[in-house]
Amino acid sequence: MRTAANRFFCICFVLFLFSVVAVTLLYSDGNVSYYENRTLASAPTLSGESLLSGEYFDGWESYLCDHAAGRTTLLRLKTRVELDLLFLPVVNDILVCPDVLLGFNSYGVWDTSYLSESADELADGLLSLQEDMKGYLCYVGLPHQYSYYSSKYPDYLENREWLKEAARSAVSSALSERGIAFVDMALIFDSLGRPDEMYSATDHHYSYLGAIETYRAVLERINNDTGLGLTILSNDDYSFIRLPNPFMGSRNRRLYGLRDMGERAYIAILNEPIPFERYNDGAKAEPVVFSLPQTETETITYNIYMGGDFTETRICTNREELPNALIFGDSFTNAAETLLYTAFNETRSLDLRYYKEKTLREYILEWQPDVVICIRDDTTYFEYTGNGYLG
Amino acid sequence: MVFSSFSFIFVFLPALLAVYFIVPARLRELRNIILLGFSIFFYACGGPKFLSLIVVSVLINYSFALPAAPGGSPPRRKAALVIAVIANLALLGFYKYAVFTVENINRLGAGFPVPEITLPIGISFFTFQGMSYLIDVYRGDAPAERNPLRVALYIFLFPQLVAGPIVRYTTIADEIHIREESTEDFASGSVRFCFGLAKKMLVANVLGELADAVFSTTPADLTSSLAWLGALAYTGQIYFDFSAYSDMAIGLGKIFGFHFLENFNYPYISKSITEFWRRWHISLSTWFRDYLYIPLGGNRCKISRQIFNILVVWTLTGLWHGAAWNFIVWGVYFAVLLLGERFVWGRILDRVPKFISHIYTMLLVVLSWVLFRSQTIGYALGMIKAMFGAGFADGRTVYYLKEYWWVLAAGTAAALPVKTLLERVTENNGDKHGFLPFIGVWGPKLAALVLLVLSYIRLVGSSFNPFIYFRF
Repeated sequence: MRTAANRFFCICFVLFLFSVVAVTLLYSDGNVSYYENRTLASAPTLSGESLLSGEYFDGWESYLCDHAAGRTTLLRLKTRVELDLLFLPVVNDILVCPDVLLGFNSYGVWDTSYLSESADELADGLLSLQEDMKGYLCYVGLPHQYSYYSSKYPDYLENREWLKEAARSAVSSALSERGIAFVDMALIFDSLGRPDEMYSATDHHYSYLGAIETYRAVLERINNDTGLGLTILSNDDYSFIRLPNPFMGSRNRRLYGLRDMGERAYIAILNEPIPFERYNDGAKAEPVVFSLPQTETETITYNIYMGGDFTETRICTNREELPNALIFGDSFTNAAETLLYTAFNETRSLDLRYYKEKTLREYILEWQPDVVICIRDDTTYFEYTGNGYLG
Repeated sequence: MVFSSFSFIFVFLPALLAVYFIVPARLRELRNIILLGFSIFFYACGGPKFLSLIVVSVLINYSFALPAAPGGSPPRRKAALVIAVIANLALLGFYKYAVFTVENINRLGAGFPVPEITLPIGISFFTFQGMSYLIDVYRGDAPAERNPLRVALYIFLFPQLVAGPIVRYTTIADEIHIREESTEDFASGSVRFCFGLAKKMLVANVLGELADAVFSTTPADLTSSLAWLGALAYTGQIYFDFSAYSDMAIGLGKIFGFHFLENFNYPYISKSITEFWRRWHISLSTWFRDYLYIPLGGNRCKISRQIFNILVVWTLTGLWHGAAWNFIVWGVYFAVLLLGERFVWGRILDRVPKFISHIYTMLLVVLSWVLFRSQTIGYALGMIKAMFGAGFADGRTVYYLKEYWWVLAAGTAAALPVKTLLERVTENNGDKHGFLPFIGVWGPKLAALVLLVLSYIRLVGSSFNPFIYFRF
């Protein structure tokens, strides 16, 4: 019996070693990990320096781990075990609550006195922009999903409420001192009682309802401050449609789609459509603001709103009597843009992470939009690169 | 290259197995050359720039062992030994201790430039192995090897090259010449490898995440529960990390027909510090015992000399682990405890209930690991103060317990001699064809396969994979 067991084990062991390497080398899942939302490591290039430092072999290790046989399936299995067998509170850096998925915040408390200086820097940048341009500038602050649901964090975890509140307050004071319009959506959502339906349970953005509320708050503020009299759509002006497709929120995506919480995406279809032309990065595109799937079973993401991020999007409704608007900021802009364009003649949005042709200031001074809307979430107020670069 | 890497398990090892076992066993020298070639490649993967250093070490030990062997004139033999030992220590001293030495001299007011020296992987291990060869040959415990490739194979042999165990030349001298690879050794070696891999991937690395999180916190921000949790996590991590590496090394050695001695024997069941050091890193403590402590006079001398010998040995043991004051203090800490057990409270310890002596041992061992893990002595003192300070509970401890409960439970079970107990139950029941012997034969193998797959899952999804003992 012992000899048979030894032989059996040796065969299994050797077969496992050889089959893993064979499948890894012969079968490729591609170069992108959908669930991790990243490009997989590529094979390293050989150079004298990389060979001598050991980087070359480290590169192979990263490549092989990323392209290992059955990697996605095994990682999904690992996530399943951690969720449903070990019942870990945080899996793949996602806090799994019964009704919502939230980001895990590392522990630590620090002095927040630097925030007022940071807020002054932000406000000075915006003020400089406002002084140089002819139009009206409106800064919109949104709670990030984890800030919105801060009360859902268990007592033993860090929700960073102390930091978010201090940041919001600092930004509000700094903008107010300089006379810059600030739409603080946290206060507006608070006045509504922070209803759960305003924010996604499985994605780091708001829900479409939250986007509608933001759209209304922004236009009301513009109308109040400028008297432009922009049309604000009411619930009677559109049909609110729940898409039947499975929705893959970014947080659920990190859990390999194992916790969708039954969440579905919504869109608003205008009862009286406004014709428009759309240009993505200068090229004429299909005139739609929702990127809808072909079938009802196809999985959709937040990217259905405006079709995701583009470097430059232009929506021309050809109503020259209306003002023009420029929108920039985080991906929170995407869902709001699907309604904001209805109020303007031409609406442009820039993704400053990728737009390199001109600086934001040059772009504004050249085009001279009547309204500039900056939409930021409360985790990015003080980021001055990418979409936070105001130069 | 580390054992718990994809490149090792699924590229290096299969390639070596294929090339090595395709060569007939009668061509022993060719098999040795293959093993040497792969071992050199294994070391070179970590950065070939230090390959020349280990080659120099091999050449020194090979060339000085010949005149140091019995048969020559005693002064010439001694001179050869002394020169070679100094050369070995000079290499180790330069690469491992030069920066530390200069920094400390500068603290006294000197302004020497601090050299930028990268520590070559495994230098402490291969230097000690080289010296073991020299001293064994000098003492006549082993013959001087005339074939330099065999000396090279002894020092380069990849299973023990970078993180031990410190294999004495006498242990494998014969097996370098004549050994017999068998299915039974291959099976038990690979089972051992799988268990070691699982200890590293599933337990040590996970406990490491917890320990790192706690040890990266300022002591002033630690509650006592969190400080204890961090200290216990590191206590588990260092044992499972290092013993896992030893398991894998011993297992790999067995696959290729080498039989290394055990390096760990359930150290956390010890009932005294003296017993702990008989069970922990056995190859290092026996090396120091045989090559330093006994030549210094051991315990067959006056008490004052014994105290001196123990202090020297343990200061050097601490220093061997790293060029930093906390390692020196760590070594002295154990010297004091060992002296205390020998001369002061050892007899009392023998008479108290076992669970009390066990608590005593573990408490002192956990505190020693705090000293060992801390970047500075100040941090260690702060951490120990937090462990015995006020403010017991906090949310962070609750979170870590909820997140890591399974690995703390698994680690506790795996640190106990459960395996030995099961082996005893399944092997010694008299019935050779019943259910228990069946489980005894098949159980470890099936468990090893399951653990191999689980380790593979962890491996592909984890980038957190450093081996602690690589820095030594």
